[in-house]
Amino acid sequence: MSDEVWMGYLLHHEPSYTVVQSPFVLNGQRVFGADSDATTLAVAALLHRLEHDNVSAISVPEGIDASSLSAATGVALHDGDAEEEPPWEVLMSDEAIVVVSQRGATVEIPVFDIEVEVDVEFHAALEAAWGQELSENHVSQGAYVSRAQYDEAAASRLQLHGQANEQGVVWPPRFSHVVDGHSASGMRLQRCGKVMTWTTLSAAGAPSEFSLRAPVLGGVSTVLLALDDGPNGVFLMVDDEESIIEMDARMELVFRRLYAQEGFVRYGLKARAIHD
Amino acid sequence: MKCLVAVHEHMVDVAVVGAGQTKYGNHALGLKGMWAEAASKAFASVDGDFDPASVEEAFIGSLAFGGSQLGNTAALLTEHSGMDGVAVRRVENACASSGFAFRDAWMAIKSGQADVVVAGGIEKMNDLTPERKRYWLGVSGDTEWERLAGLTFPGTYALMARRYFHEFDSTHDDLVHVSVKNHLHGSMNADAHIQKEVSFEKAAGGFMVADPLTLYDCCPTSDGASCVVLAADHVAHKFTDTPVWVKGAGAASDNLALHDRPSITQLKATQVASAKAYGMAGLDARQIDVAEVHDCFTIAEVLATEDLGFAQRGEGGRFAREGEGRINEGTTTVNSSGGLKSKGHPLGATGTGQVVEVFKQLRGQVEAGRQVRDAETALTHNVGGSGATCSVHVFGRDR
Repeated sequence: MSDEVWMGYLLHHEPSYTVVQSPFVLNGQRVFGADSDATTLAVAALLHRLEHDNVSAISVPEGIDASSLSAATGVALHDGDAEEEPPWEVLMSDEAIVVVSQRGATVEIPVFDIEVEVDVEFHAALEAAWGQELSENHVSQGAYVSRAQYDEAAASRLQLHGQANEQGVVWPPRFSHVVDGHSASGMRLQRCGKVMTWTTLSAAGAPSEFSLRAPVLGGVSTVLLALDDGPNGVFLMVDDEESIIEMDARMELVFRRLYAQEGFVRYGLKARAIHD
Repeated sequence: MKCLVAVHEHMVDVAVVGAGQTKYGNHALGLKGMWAEAASKAFASVDGDFDPASVEEAFIGSLAFGGSQLGNTAALLTEHSGMDGVAVRRVENACASSGFAFRDAWMAIKSGQADVVVAGGIEKMNDLTPERKRYWLGVSGDTEWERLAGLTFPGTYALMARRYFHEFDSTHDDLVHVSVKNHLHGSMNADAHIQKEVSFEKAAGGFMVADPLTLYDCCPTSDGASCVVLAADHVAHKFTDTPVWVKGAGAASDNLALHDRPSITQLKATQVASAKAYGMAGLDARQIDVAEVHDCFTIAEVLATEDLGFAQRGEGGRFAREGEGRINEGTTTVNSSGGLKSKGHPLGATGTGQVVEVFKQLRGQVEAGRQVRDAETALTHNVGGSGATCSVHVFGRDR
């Protein structure tokens, strides 16, 4: 058993289960950070679990975006029509706590000392903004990533699936499966890189997808990272912790909410500073 | 080989014989009215008799941002400029739409399929509510990757600027010099959106839009239309004795997303397009007297001066700092119109708007104080997005 900070969350590992909690607290209750939800906590827990166990299939409760969880981890979802329950399941609580457990294991929720008190008004404003975004009537009138387009790129967006051959590594993949004139095979890139450049865009200049939350957050920050495996990529910084961004600083990529539209959340990888 | 020689012998030269535009800015007119004004000014600028019905092909660049006509925009516009029935189409390559419309018009004549062709561009941007306008921000970046990473173009160019400062001996002050210069030039241009000089101190202290770019590093949101008449060499003399010849044309594309490019402090599409245009014209950068370059953000002008060969790699900041692009102060005057920064940037209209400026410069027809002395050669540089598309044209008084 061990406790650690994992992808920005508090994690407790036992042989038969993993508990992930939000570090944020409001009125004594664990609450989600600005761009976290039960799905992001479940993905973090499952990715940690995958470092220790072979989780081939898992069942998830309502309230977790099962297809995004599967796309982000590569773990198959339980087929509801199957006779046998899968050996692993995701459990949720009323607070911002998620457990990935072997079915039937006795789970004890640990008490962590780390508690980051959130500002009541800030938290309420963000919750209200997410609520508005999640409305099915919240639609785009301009550039737009449809559900089909989101799903098509899910493996490269959420698991960093790329392509490689002797000429180098390309991410996101090209549909021609050709890199610099040579055919390439798939690979999964590491989730780390260093800062090549960054910016913080004012709320007024942010894309409409972020127009409800950007004023609350004070703008949106984006980094261009040189990933450890070679390719570059642009990523939002995580919203739920403050970071000082510097050239060449090491960053890791974690699973978070990007925005919501037409009633479903688009998830993606966001950058957070690696603190040695 | 024999066949190639025969083709070459029939290759025609292309001249610009008329050019006009609306004033850029917050325009009272809508799409139809603005286009009619730009076209009528272009037709009136033709020295000889000109009948719009003689136009055989028309290419109109637009993103169709506002103005309420997304599909078949071009057909609607030509109805209002006496070109009924002309073969027309909308050309869309983001902010380079009319640079490519001009290229298409040039190719139509060059190929021998037409003798008289119109190229133009238009954008109505200020008739939208702020919320609706926001939907259009950054639509020409890589939607799936850049937009989902929170980027619109101020952000994308801010990424380039910060990296440029990191790689080279340059600071934000160099961008301020670009802004001050272009506002100075624009202050003398009756068609400019912002006809106001700005002090170094004011430009340096502007509201931060996308760190490190401030308001004074960003072009305004402009309405406007521009229109150019092109003619084949064997008919050009009917229209004018002082045509402006298209001596070279080049175009190229690059990865849509900035992060997919090997370098984010140079635009490969600009380098390739300009090399083609210079090669065709038989000129190099040092022989260009006046250049209209795509300064949607001040850092874009710094990079363009390098990619077009006016400054060495890494020297674009110094070029700006030392005022080399000011009217009649360096070898090449950069953005005598005020550029996108001050003249304005009605997306689809910008490319042919640049041609309007060099047409007037090479014919000695711009306002006093803005005329480049003894201008014989000129260049236009029109970029789509953050460099995914680019068209470059080289012009001369001599054929």
